[in-house]
Amino acid sequence: MIFSALVAGICSGSFPLLFAQLVDRVPGILFGLPLMALASLIFAATHHEDPAEIRFAAIHWAVWLGGILGLVLAAVLLLGWFA
Amino acid sequence: MAVTPRNIENARPRIVAISPDDGSAIDLKNPALAALLSWCVPGLGQLYQGRTYKGRLFMGAILGTFLAGLWLGGGKVVYASWKPGDTRWAYVCQAGAGLVALPAAVQSMQIHGVAKQPLFCSTFMAPPLTPGQYVSRAYADVLTRSDPEIDGDSFFDKPPLKQFRGEQVSIWQRRLGRWFDIGTLYTMLAGMLNVLVIYDAFAGPLGTPTDEDRKAHKEGKDTKPR
Repeated sequence: MIFSALVAGICSGSFPLLFAQLVDRVPGILFGLPLMALASLIFAATHHEDPAEIRFAAIHWAVWLGGILGLVLAAVLLLGWFA
Repeated sequence: MAVTPRNIENARPRIVAISPDDGSAIDLKNPALAALLSWCVPGLGQLYQGRTYKGRLFMGAILGTFLAGLWLGGGKVVYASWKPGDTRWAYVCQAGAGLVALPAAVQSMQIHGVAKQPLFCSTFMAPPLTPGQYVSRAYADVLTRSDPEIDGDSFFDKPPLKQFRGEQVSIWQRRLGRWFDIGTLYTMLAGMLNVLVIYDAFAGPLGTPTDEDRKAHKEGKDTKPR
């Protein structure tokens, strides 16, 4: 649904507005990335003991957190755009 | 056999956790002490338990994030305040980072106490002044010298004290903009994630061991404590 709304936005010529909204959030996103990495690392390290397992799990957690938070951000942007 | 501290130590049952990775035993030593140490300095409890990799990792990650947040927020984002209308709930999370956040509590108690000024008149982690708040003359002078937006007119002269006229947190937020929020978020998250680190020191890894790990533990194949 989010993807189709994004495509609809691009096709209808409102993409610059959506892009501007995204750019406005860049500092927040940029400074949110280290926090996501930290949370992934701590989650991984508190679930495992072996250094190799911790590294692997940290990547696993980062992908999950990034995916979930990315979807939330996309949903917020699109809702703001529709509003 | 003679009773010696060494014999008592050997007789005491070991508190262990099972590693979810290979089923080996993790000697938690004194879990309560380890948890306390991990609150004081993130990762210190794990270092005490001999889990040096995790100890260093936690220490670097948590303290690094906390200090980065403090720096991003211009040193103003960690303070404690329980005054009605100016309750700093973020400090509840920040306090999770341990001793590094403790000066804020001390400064808050000092400025609201009899002295009416923070420890050594330092602005470090001191709570912002609220409208009508009384402070010592020495602290008013320090603020006048250190903050370009605060001058002699910012205080009413109420001997032997001075009464602040403005609202300092508004000055900070106007000057720092979004960095105030980003710094607050960094320090809060560092404190909250340290709760997981404290739990890890107290009870071992959160990960669930597999059936094979449990079986290996029962068969005594994991006698090598970490």
